[in-house]
Amino acid sequence: MQRRAALQQLAVTVGGFISLPAWANGWNANTIGSSSGLLSAPQDELLAIVVDTIIPETDTPGAKALGVHSFLQKVVADCYEPKAAETLKQGLAATEAMARQTYSRSFGECDTPQRIDVLKRLNQSAEQTQTDFYKLVKALTIRGYTSSEYVMTNLTKYEMVPGRYHGCVPVPAKAIPQTK
Amino acid sequence: MSYLNIDAQAANTYDAIVVGSGISGGWAAKELTGKGLRTLVLERGRDVQHVTDYPTTMMNPWEFEHRGQLPREIKEQNPIISKCYAFYEGSTHFFVKDAEHPYVQEKPFDWIRGYQVGGKSLMWARQTQRWSDFDFQGPARDGFAVDWPIRYADLAPWYTYVEKFAGITGNKDGLPQLPDGEFLPPHEWNCVEKHFSEQMAKRYQNSRPVIMGRAAHITQPKPIHLQQGRAQCQHRTICERGCPFGGYFSSNSSTLPWAAKTGKMTLRPHSVVHSIIYDEKKGKATGVRVIDANTKQMTEFYARVIFINAAALNTNLILLNSTSARFPNGLGNDSGVLGKYVAFHNYRAGVSGEYDGFLESTTDGRRPNSPYIPRFRNVMKQETDFLRGYAAGFSAGRISRTNQDGLGADLKSGLLNPTLGGWYVGSHMMGETIPKESNYVALDSAQKDPFGIPQLKISVAYDDNDEKMVKDYLEQMTEMFTAAGFTNIRTRDDKRNPGLDIHEMGGARMGKDPKTSILNKWNQMHAVKNVFVTDGASMTSTSTQNPSLTYMAMSARSVDYAVKEMKRQTL
Repeated sequence: MQRRAALQQLAVTVGGFISLPAWANGWNANTIGSSSGLLSAPQDELLAIVVDTIIPETDTPGAKALGVHSFLQKVVADCYEPKAAETLKQGLAATEAMARQTYSRSFGECDTPQRIDVLKRLNQSAEQTQTDFYKLVKALTIRGYTSSEYVMTNLTKYEMVPGRYHGCVPVPAKAIPQTK
Repeated sequence: MSYLNIDAQAANTYDAIVVGSGISGGWAAKELTGKGLRTLVLERGRDVQHVTDYPTTMMNPWEFEHRGQLPREIKEQNPIISKCYAFYEGSTHFFVKDAEHPYVQEKPFDWIRGYQVGGKSLMWARQTQRWSDFDFQGPARDGFAVDWPIRYADLAPWYTYVEKFAGITGNKDGLPQLPDGEFLPPHEWNCVEKHFSEQMAKRYQNSRPVIMGRAAHITQPKPIHLQQGRAQCQHRTICERGCPFGGYFSSNSSTLPWAAKTGKMTLRPHSVVHSIIYDEKKGKATGVRVIDANTKQMTEFYARVIFINAAALNTNLILLNSTSARFPNGLGNDSGVLGKYVAFHNYRAGVSGEYDGFLESTTDGRRPNSPYIPRFRNVMKQETDFLRGYAAGFSAGRISRTNQDGLGADLKSGLLNPTLGGWYVGSHMMGETIPKESNYVALDSAQKDPFGIPQLKISVAYDDNDEKMVKDYLEQMTEMFTAAGFTNIRTRDDKRNPGLDIHEMGGARMGKDPKTSILNKWNQMHAVKNVFVTDGASMTSTSTQNPSLTYMAMSARSVDYAVKEMKRQTL
């Protein structure tokens, strides 16, 4: 929901006494999560394919279309120890190398089963950088995807303003995760 | 003195000055202005206007750059504040950064502060229980600290008064150890919480009641709340970002706008109070010295009556820094106890578990509150090898789980088809600590803060009584969880530093005897009658209940007394 619309709805709900502050304007998902400068353009492109392999487009968008690769870089750059950025870069290089070694083509040129196979090989690698990369990218892809606007709005139905707490209700047919 | 100075002095003169705009300062401001006094409210931090200065309040989870996670740099630069449960990407702007406001830890103490208009009332946990005579009689009965100069009957009408205005949800439980208040409708129990409450009633013959929490949330607005521009709580449970509905009580949503409406309040942010001015000839305080946080210029403001509500430890700092020939060791400190007998609440321990029943039921929506277990140890009489006792929080819930195995379409399907896990249960302790002379704050002799004011040196630690209490809580709660049929019971003692409870109290305690206390039964300085302290610094002991509601009641009561005395010309 657009912020201003949400605030207007809120103002109606509570009797119209809230004046809309200046920060209510001009915010949307696209203004947030811009590139962190951690990766080069080819690395960024490769990471986009990796996250889209982990969570692909089906009848709903995949991780790449939801900008999960940008979020991932942002969090690695800002929140993780500097070592994680190295793990990410080295892991991307290893991904490409593993694809060429196994399938004689770039990761981007591999088909979906081949890409999944390459990622599984990294997970089973004897080299810790590669297993660390797999764990890091998979965990952050899941987090970025499940906390994305599209998923929280359309699929898991996050409620900003529940307006209620019912202590004992029958379990619904499909459980819906609720987070802050 | 030139005419110009006289003019300047007149311009800086008010009927009353309130130092601090948090929970207690906001109440002092509302009451003073409500009684017609021109009141200057000094706040060391920036202004925070209700709604418009809550920049994250309408942000969805995906709109945070790091989806709520704190950047590494912030954590590294702020090791103390980063420990606070309420400090995250959505609320960093309401907390003091470690480096900006240094203090000296003679013993480890995590001092959690919010320097802005509204203070910590913006981010508080909103639990509001009355204290009872089992609390006020505690020191006298058990032989520690000094006897409180007040009893429950002195505060009861003022609890009623502040509850009606603030809006407190709760259930009338009829418990002598936790008196009922003026409650808005209570929050709902879930099945497992209700089960626990019923099982405990049976197992302990009602001696360990488990009740619904009492909290400063408007579950059903009354006209007085609507008049404040506040509305029903919308159960968002992101309160620490500030609430656009005014669903919970804060100075910003409630007392300060109310005071502003009288036209009698002057709110001055960026005003760091250096000290109280004491006039030896008049034998009273005449005003305060203020350092402008931006220009570092010192200005004096004057008033007939001064309320110090800077939050417990900063109130101590100001009083200790207010020296004169008459009071070389701090204002009103004839007894030498100023800064001493500081105490807090012990939140170290918790117990968690699971429950296999009620799998056909779950919860819907969110609840900004949880059930509460009032103190059941040593209430009527001493019965353990430690003094006093602990209250406990309790709650139950279910968490959605997702299958995160595999990669590709299978993984995606797993993420989008969560299954509901079983019930988890959890509890945490809130222990009363014993005020001791050896737990103290003082001015550091060498280090100054960025305003040239001596840094506060904090020397506060747990003692053997606290260790015994942690052990007892873990044993008792394990027994209670077991009796309720909970499984996989796990105990923890996180050994957190004092301070992280954010319930520091004392240092300028109330008492009957000026030789052993700073304040009298009206929160009025024994030695300087026109100075009042109605925040945490005034507390003689800590009880197990959250203290904020008591600060509110004391503030309103104290202002009522002060204004009556002013009218009688005795102040």
